[in-house]
Amino acid sequence: MRLDDWGYMLAAIAGLMIVTVLTRASFFMLPSHVQLPTRVERALRYAPACALAAIVAPGVLTREQEIAIGWGNHQMWALLTAAAVFAKTRNMAAMMAIGMGVFTVLRLAA
Amino acid sequence: MMPMALAISVWGVVTGVAMVNQGMSVALGLLMTFTVFAGSAQLAVLPLLAVGAPLPVVWATALVVNLRFVIFAASSRRSFVDLSFRQRVLAGYLNGDLGFALFSQRFADDPDRGSPVQWGYFYGGALVNWVVWQAASVTGIVLGGLAPSAWGLELAAYLALTAVLVPMCTRLPAIAGVLVAVAVSVVMVDLPMRLGLLVAVAAGVTVAMLGERLGGTRRPAAAQTGVDAVS
Repeated sequence: MRLDDWGYMLAAIAGLMIVTVLTRASFFMLPSHVQLPTRVERALRYAPACALAAIVAPGVLTREQEIAIGWGNHQMWALLTAAAVFAKTRNMAAMMAIGMGVFTVLRLAA
Repeated sequence: MMPMALAISVWGVVTGVAMVNQGMSVALGLLMTFTVFAGSAQLAVLPLLAVGAPLPVVWATALVVNLRFVIFAASSRRSFVDLSFRQRVLAGYLNGDLGFALFSQRFADDPDRGSPVQWGYFYGGALVNWVVWQAASVTGIVLGGLAPSAWGLELAAYLALTAVLVPMCTRLPAIAGVLVAVAVSVVMVDLPMRLGLLVAVAAGVTVAMLGERLGGTRRPAAAQTGVDAVS
């Protein structure tokens, strides 16, 4: 448990802030003749999606470092339902409500 | 603006709750939300921080999640080139998903290269975004400790990240890359130091790029953003 380790957390937060400023303001800071090569732009377009997937998937599809894909994984079904709803509606509040709703119903029914 | 404000609020509360729920103190949670100001990066690194992953892995993860902002910055820089360096850094810092989506929609066909009207619109939107986001985050941080763990609120954090992910999956190469990243990250979940995450990203991006070449997809769609907030 490192979340209450102040040295570790302060260093982490400082670095996260720097990373955010560097990415958000990247091309606002560079001289205007510096352009993004097309190939690099494509790679940059795919990387965030892959990173988000690589964070969500182990969180929802594994338990204690073991793969846990199956009927008993309530989080997985809730997330798949919510993702489908969001893909159709693009309504964030609705997808959160439905996702948490499905999870709660499955949890109470089990 | 109203549906956007609702989305920002939901997202902010979820992020605030997630930080405290994972075991972060209220003080650190507040510090993080007021300095980092990047919802999806904050949510993304939480599981890493909780297991004490090495800081370079934490930072690299946030960097990759934030790479979409590099594209945002590249495509909206034209409106900001005439500002001072300091102003540009501030504008960049405030240029989250939502601000970018609204701003680029509004001024996509504007021949003006940075006018007071554009800057006013940008800062106005950014201010609303910042205030709503911070208010929601603080609410989440204060309430987060009260929710029983059985409610499974960590799922809400994953749902919020999924809301950013889904709009990015509009084309086959992206979908293929995401599926590969899912598979690799799950199989490699027990790799030390959470390095499986970075391996998964490398594999996913490689497959997406290969898929693009094989499929003959020439231009990726214009910058995609979800309805999520600052993230």
